[in-house]
Amino acid sequence: MTNAISALQTEPRGSLGTTILRIALGLTTLFTWFDNVGKDFYDGDNFPGFFNWAFTPAEEGGNGSSLGFVESIIDNTLLAAPEFFGWLLTLFELFIAVGLLLGLFTRAASLAAIGFFASLFLVYAGGEEWIWTYVLLTAAAVTVFLNWGGRFLGVDQVIAENQGESPATLIW
Amino acid sequence: MIGRPIDRFVDWLNDRAAGLSRDTSGTASAASPTWPIALARILLGVLWLGSLRWKLPPDFESDGETSLRQWLELEVEHAAFGVYGDIIDSVVLPNFTLFAWLVFLAELVVGLALLLGIATRPAALLGLLMSLNLLVGLLDVPGEWPWAYVLMAMWHGTILVSNADGLWSARALLPGGNRPLAQSSTS
Repeated sequence: MTNAISALQTEPRGSLGTTILRIALGLTTLFTWFDNVGKDFYDGDNFPGFFNWAFTPAEEGGNGSSLGFVESIIDNTLLAAPEFFGWLLTLFELFIAVGLLLGLFTRAASLAAIGFFASLFLVYAGGEEWIWTYVLLTAAAVTVFLNWGGRFLGVDQVIAENQGESPATLIW
Repeated sequence: MIGRPIDRFVDWLNDRAAGLSRDTSGTASAASPTWPIALARILLGVLWLGSLRWKLPPDFESDGETSLRQWLELEVEHAAFGVYGDIIDSVVLPNFTLFAWLVFLAELVVGLALLLGIATRPAALLGLLMSLNLLVGLLDVPGEWPWAYVLMAMWHGTILVSNADGLWSARALLPGGNRPLAQSSTS
C-alpha cells in the first residue's frame, strides 16, 4: 500500500511529461532570443529602455511594475553596466534555450532558467503584463530541474550513461 | 467514463516512451517528485477560474477590461488564418450568447476539475484544446505574446500524461480512487 501510494506521488526521471515541458520551454526561449537579437534588444543602448518601460506607471504608457526593491536592484546592477549585462544576458538566455531544447546540461540550464524566469516574474509583478506567463515559465523550469528533464530524449541521457552522475548532480 | 479511453491512451504513450529511453546508467529509473506537476495543476485551475471574472454571465462583460465579445472581434480583425476569422465572424459572433455560455462553462469545468483533481485527464485534454484555440485565435492580435498559449498548451499536455492528481487531489483522497499508471511502475 505504501509503495502504491509513493508510486503515485513520483515520476520516473525524465518522464514524458517533463520532456514536453523541457522542449516547449527551450523552443519558447530560443524563439524569443532570436526575436530579441533581431530587434537589438540586448544592445547596451536599447536594453535599459525595457526596464524603464517596466517601471513606468501604466497611465504613462508603461507596465506599472510595483516592486520597488526590484527596481532598486536593477538600477544598481544591470543599468549600471548595460553593455556588460546585455552581453551576459545574450549568452545566458542562449545557454538556457539550447540546454533545454537539446537536454544538454539540463540540470544547470533549468536551474539558470528558474532564476531567469523568477526574475522576470519580479520585474513584471504588479503591472499590466499578464503575470501568469511568468508563473507558468517558472513552474516549468522548477519541474524540469526537480524531475531531471534531460534524461529522456536528451543529450544528458547519453552523458549519464557514459559518465554517471555529474558533480553535485547539478550539471546533467 | 470518458477518462477510461484517455487513461488507456496515456498508458500506451508512456509505455512507448519508456521503450525509447536509452538511459542505462540506472538513474532513469530513480524517482522524481510529482508535487511540482500537482502544484502546476492547481495553479492552472486557479488560472482558468480567475479568467472567468471578466466574462461573467449574463452579459459576459466586466468594467474596465476587454470583454469576451471584444476579444472575438479582435480575432476577426487580426485573424492569422482567414478561415478561423470567418468562422468567428459568421458563426460565433451572430450566436454570441450561446458561445459565451459554452466558453464560460468549459472554463469553469476545466478550472474546477484541475483545481480539485477530479477527472484530471479529460480536463487537461479539454484545457489543451482550449489553449490551442487561444493560440490560433490570438496569434496575430497586437499586444499578445502567442508563446503564453504555447506554455498553457505545454502544461496541459504534461498534466495529461503525468500523475498530476497523485496528490493534493480529490481523487487521491478517495479510497481506491487512484489509478495505477504504466509510468508509475518505475522498476
